[in-house]
Amino acid sequence: MNFRDAIRNLLMLLGVSALLLGIPAATAYASSATTGTGWIRLAHLSPNTPAVDVYLYSFGNSNAMIVLHHVAYGTVSPYESVPAGDYSVAMRAAGASATSQPVLSTSVTIAAGHAYTVAGMGPESGLRLQVLEDQLTTAPGQAEVRVIQASLKQQVVTVTLGSTVLASGLKFASVSDYQPVSPGTQSVTVSSSGGDTHSSVTLAAGTVHTLVVLDGASGLEVVNLEDASGSGKPPLGGVSTGFGGTAPHGPGSPVPWLVAIGAGSLLALTGGLRLRRDRQLNTGI
Amino acid sequence: MPTRRPAATFALAAGLVVIAGGTTGLLLTRHPALAMRPAAVGVAALPAPTGPIVAPPQSTAPKPVAAPVSLTIPLIGVRTQLITLGLTSAGELQVPSSTAVAGWFTGSPRPGAIGSAIIVGHIDSLSGPGVFYRLSELTVGDKVYVKRADGTLAEFRVTSVQTYLKDRFPTEDVYGPVPDAELRLITCGGAFDAATGHYLSNIVVYATEVS
Repeated sequence: MNFRDAIRNLLMLLGVSALLLGIPAATAYASSATTGTGWIRLAHLSPNTPAVDVYLYSFGNSNAMIVLHHVAYGTVSPYESVPAGDYSVAMRAAGASATSQPVLSTSVTIAAGHAYTVAGMGPESGLRLQVLEDQLTTAPGQAEVRVIQASLKQQVVTVTLGSTVLASGLKFASVSDYQPVSPGTQSVTVSSSGGDTHSSVTLAAGTVHTLVVLDGASGLEVVNLEDASGSGKPPLGGVSTGFGGTAPHGPGSPVPWLVAIGAGSLLALTGGLRLRRDRQLNTGI
Repeated sequence: MPTRRPAATFALAAGLVVIAGGTTGLLLTRHPALAMRPAAVGVAALPAPTGPIVAPPQSTAPKPVAAPVSLTIPLIGVRTQLITLGLTSAGELQVPSSTAVAGWFTGSPRPGAIGSAIIVGHIDSLSGPGVFYRLSELTVGDKVYVKRADGTLAEFRVTSVQTYLKDRFPTEDVYGPVPDAELRLITCGGAFDAATGHYLSNIVVYATEVS
């Protein structure tokens, strides 16, 4: 090619390069929407009320989302994960028609990330549905415990865990507040006018529990419900699980390449001009 | 002068070669090397594992759950044994020394027991993909299986996939107590900081046990 063509081609190449310099690197990573769900469990804690069928309806829906049949005293269902929103809970006599008038009903609003227990509480003559919010956090390295007093035979109880008093003079159909306790296996003592009942519970760090005092076949019983569990000592910060072998590399600096092109252009120009002059001289132009 | 001609020709030729080389280099580095992302596959890469699938735990008198031994995610071709991980002396989560295996954080609940069980794995090594390379491809409804030391199988369903900057890692959301049997699979993601050799984000896949 002649010198002029060479320069023209070079300029074209440089022009195209300049265009390509502007192309940004596009990166994208996947993420999806957070789930707006909460949890609910249902309990029958009225000692002299016969078994019931328990219905959970989402607000405005006449078809039950969940139905638990023949729930007897002392039963606490596992948690169900449900979309956050408004619900109603109804109790009917076991085996009663789903369209019959419920014995009891209550509404409950389930917030995302929160857990609730809806329990039939009190004596049969004064049965009510109570909505309890269940705790889902613990103090670092601790467990959390509360007590539900569901014994009708011993109307008032005092519950101690090791040397910690969990509930003092707790009346029938009442719930104590959650308290942080040291993790481990400890003895539980339920004291009432009828005497003391002893049992043992293991509470791991990072767990939340509800102890339910019930009328058993021969005296008081304590049921240990694990409400929630997580890492007792959570790790700090994020996790270093990558070395970059598959990561995108950003565009390198253009400077060294531009310098090379510049130097090459100078060299080519010098050589080209020399050749041109040489040819002119030789051909006598 | 005749002696100038070969030198001048050489200079012209050499100059053109250098221009060509410089331009090629410039064009190549203008295109960032794209991340090695595999083509998405809708068909399961692995069959679901076999084994007696146990029901999620009841809150009254839960049976003790055996330790996890392996993890299978059929849709993205993950099948790995599970090593155990603790905390470093600095209180951070240990990571597997191999990029080919995943690990269960023993300070978290066991997979299939009530609570937030934590399993982590590397997205890549210095040179290529790691065990959790395709984790971010998971979407709601995908199945995850954990086999346990007693031979039972826990089946989980993905409920959410999130990406968090490590500087703003939501410790309570990921490690905090939950009332059902859940799994959190963690790996790295987002932008890679070549200066520090670390990814800036973590990808967390949330899954809940199904019966």
